[in-house]
Parts: sequence; C-alpha cells; structure tokens
Amino acid sequence: MAKILFINPVVREEDVPRHIPYGIALLAAIAMKKGHLVQVYDANAHRLPLETIVEVCQADDWDAVCIGGLTTTYNYIKKACKLIKQAAPKAQLIAGGGFLTSMPTEIFKWLPEIDVGCIGESFETFPAVLEKIDNKDFDYSTVLGVIHRDLTGKSFLTPVRPNIHDLDTLPWPAWELFPLDIYFANSANLFSEESFTSKRRMDINGSFGCGLTCKYCWHLGTTGDMLIEENEEGENDVVFTYGRNIRYHSPDYIVSMVKHLYDTYDIDFAAFIDENLMTMDVASKGTWLKELCAKWIEAGLQPTCRQKGIPHDENCKGVHWNGTSHAGLHRPDTLKLMYEAGCTHLVYGLESFDPYILRNLGKGSNARKNKQSIATCLASGIKPIPNIIIGFPEETFESVRNTINALIELGITAKPHFATAYPGSEWYYAYKDSILAQYNGDLEAYIMDLGDASKITATISQKFSPVQLLGLQQIVYLKELRLLDLSEQHWAPVQQHLSPVVEPKTSFNLRPVKEAGPLAIKVG
Amino acid sequence: MSNLLKGNFTTKKEVKKPEENTEKDSTQQAFKKAALNSIGGSMVYVERTDLTWDGEE
Repeated sequence: MAKILFINPVVREEDVPRHIPYGIALLAAIAMKKGHLVQVYDANAHRLPLETIVEVCQADDWDAVCIGGLTTTYNYIKKACKLIKQAAPKAQLIAGGGFLTSMPTEIFKWLPEIDVGCIGESFETFPAVLEKIDNKDFDYSTVLGVIHRDLTGKSFLTPVRPNIHDLDTLPWPAWELFPLDIYFANSANLFSEESFTSKRRMDINGSFGCGLTCKYCWHLGTTGDMLIEENEEGENDVVFTYGRNIRYHSPDYIVSMVKHLYDTYDIDFAAFIDENLMTMDVASKGTWLKELCAKWIEAGLQPTCRQKGIPHDENCKGVHWNGTSHAGLHRPDTLKLMYEAGCTHLVYGLESFDPYILRNLGKGSNARKNKQSIATCLASGIKPIPNIIIGFPEETFESVRNTINALIELGITAKPHFATAYPGSEWYYAYKDSILAQYNGDLEAYIMDLGDASKITATISQKFSPVQLLGLQQIVYLKELRLLDLSEQHWAPVQQHLSPVVEPKTSFNLRPVKEAGPLAIKVG
Repeated sequence: MSNLLKGNFTTKKEVKKPEENTEKDSTQQAFKKAALNSIGGSMVYVERTDLTWDGEE
C-alpha cells in the first residue's frame, strides 16, 4: 500500500492555529481505512521555518505527498510545492481543496510541481488516485474528478465525480494524527462567555453545502454546485451553478462522534464548521436540529449549567457548542432547544441592513428579518455573532447609513469585512476583469494577496475607491453618522460625474441556474 | 523533543521538533504579534532590524 505524507499548510499566519484541518483529517482516515501508510505534518500547528518541509519529505520514501486547503493557503502551498518536489522527487505530488477547485487550470499553470489534483469532493477521488499510485500507473485520465498532466505538462480536467450519497458512510476524521495540545492551547475565543473559557475545543462538521446563493460565497465544488464542461477553447473547465445536493449527517452520527471526542479527548466545546446549520434544518423540514438537540442531551453531553439553569463557570461539565444561523430561517422553538442542549453562540451573516443590497445578494433575508434576528436569538439565551460587510458593488452613502443606524439600534459594535471576490464565488467571475486591472493583469498576485477580508485587496464597489472604503470601515466601526454626513456632502456631488470604479461581466465559469452536479445513486 | 510527524507507521527517520529555538523565537514573535494587534495612537511597533548607517550609500 502507498506511503502517504499529508502536509497541512499554514493559514492566517497573523493568528494562532485554531482549527484542525477537517478535510485533511477525513482524507487521512479514509486512506488509513483503505490500508495505506499515512503520516501528517501539520505545518500550520507547528509554525516552523518553511524549510522543515525538506526534512519531513526526506523522513521516508513517500509514494505520495498531499497538500491542500482554501485559497488563503496559496502563498504557503506555492513555496511548499517547490521544496516538496526537490526533496521527494519520486513521490507523486497530489493537491486538493478549495484553492485548486476554484481555478484548477490556473493553479496547474502556476504550480508545475503538482502531478495530480482532486477537484471538488475527494472522498472517492482521493482513494482512486492512491490506487493508481499503488499500481505505479500514473495515467490519471480515467479517474473522475481530477486535473492531471500529459508528458508536456499540459493539464486536463476529467468529468465531474458524483457527490457521495450518504455522508454517514464517512469515517470520523483522524484527529489522532494532529498535535492536539497545540490546538487545545488555542481553544478559547471571544464569541461567548462559554467559548472564552473553553480549554478543549474541537471542530465538527454536520453537513456539506448550503441552499443559499450568496454572491460572495461558494461551496468548494462539494455540494452539487459544480459541473465540468468544455469551454470556448474546447477544453474541460469548472462551471459553478446554483445547483445543490443538500446532504447532512444523521444526528446519531454527529452525537456519537461528539461523545467519542468527549470520552477520548475530554472536550468541553464542539464548534460546528458547517456553512449554515439552519439551511440544513429547513431541508429536513425542521426536524434535524430538534433531533440533534434531543440526542445531545440523551447522550449526556448537555452542559451542567444548562441542565441546572445556573450561570456557566469553570466547574461546568459537558460539551457546549456553536454554529451558523440565518436571519430568515431560524425558529424560536428550535433556538430554545439548541440553548438547552448547550449552544452558546450562532454566527449570522447579516452582512448589511440596506434593503437594496440585501435584495441583490442572494441571501434570502431583508433588513427587517436581519434586525429581528438579533432579538430572537438573544431571547433564546444564545449569543448572536453578526457578520457585517462594506464595499458591496451597490454600496452607497445611504446603504452605509442604513447599516450604521441598525448597528446603533441593536447595540452592535463591528469593524466590517471588506467585500471580497474569492475565486469560485459569483462576485469573482463577475468582477474578474476589474480585479485583473487592479493587479496589473497579474491574477496570481491577487490570489497571493487574499486573506480573511479584513483588509482591502481588489475592490468591487462601483462607487467607492479603497481610500473611501477604509474611511467608511472606520466610520461604521465608530457608528459616527456625523462623519458619514460630512463625507457625503464632500464626495456625493463628485460621485455623480464619475464612471463606476468596477463593472460586472458574464463568465463561462458561472451559470446562475439551479442545475446540480451529479449525486451518486443510493446503495442498498 | 517530540516527533513532528504523526501517523500509523514508523518512518525511516524521525523528525524532531526544535524546541529551544522555537521558544526563543516565539517570545519575540508573540510580542510582535501582540504589539501589531494594538497599533493605534501612541502604540507603535518598530522592526528589530539594525538600521545603523555603516557608511555605504
């Protein structure tokens, strides 16, 4: 069987490592289940000099070295790939994850060291690639869901692989292959009092994808949102759509996994990394979360503070948890059950309080629902964590004013994210030409610049330039309507005479129709 | 020193985590991170690089 080395790239270098990489941990578990020999080097957890990769690559005769992550890991991956190929030239270099799926052809051009890449969901693609490697057969053209090269280095995408039908067939992630002590040391965060005091937090995932079509978001090609089709040059390329294969784990799977984490690692907090718990609950007709909460309590995971109705303190036992919600889809009765089961906080992507922006965003919410959601969530006992964005394509002084007024009314202090067009999102394809213009035609420079949207990269606002957006961010943070009024008086008359800073375009890679990619047929 | 690799078999060579250097680095790095996170007003940060003029242009 193949000897495989996984490398978890450094991400968000400005922060401490907080998240065991769920995808890599799952793929490592799948590979071990198939009988392969697996090792993990968690570069993000250890934060050692880049050159450590050489030592790691020379620790054994690897058949495959695997690397992957979100687009924000690209900087590290680019440097790592060069070292990996030098240090382990005989190993097949396999890539995967969002950074590759969103723009496979470009990545293969920029990173000639990669031999083969898994596009979209890799639960079956990855073992299929390993089987090829086991047989010393490096012709990947018959494997669904990959990008590979011919002898000249030219890349080819094979047809899309159907999503697996039943998520419960997946093993639990191989947490034991990661330096848990490092992650546990960074368990605490500032989202709620309970999470602030957490000493042993681990991430869990209950579902894949989201039914919404927010223009800033995409779903990693893992949720029926991706097709592979011939482009204008007659070559296979990725096409992202509004199609969705909604899939979620059974409450039994999730609760038994958390019980295992509680019994084995003594966790005190489980953070759901799902895109949106509420869209899954809606897909289940409101039964999924209720059942999950009931089983959480039944399994003895309910924190004692919730059980006894007393304030949380360091003596509390059990497992608190958090997740993501939606202003238009949450239900008070479900939130109440979630609170009782130990839910501490829910992230709400409210984004804006401007009616026009929200109508265009594909979010399925409006200003009224956004405002109401804070009160509804607070009434349940759960703390809402609202995300706010500025710099929307349609952003105006009036839209910023609407957002500030709502923040004042609701008692929210937020330093907004900047609207950012991540590869794979509708915004990215609509504004790709403008992005290129802002980076002197160097798309890779843009990708290397992308972070967590707390700084400006390429703007997609039609009316505001970076200097104005930076000022507006500060004004929203301070909730200073006087400064906003002054800025508008100064700038609005000029704005009328300017052409838009950026212009949207249509793209082959984005088809706004509900055409889902294939889903495997249910077995048994 | 702990092994940097974790897996389901023993590798031919062990890769040790260089603890001492990491600790030394981490104090400076941790300070820089904390300082940069509180930049504003009188809170500034200066890189710890030698800026003494050595006579060369």
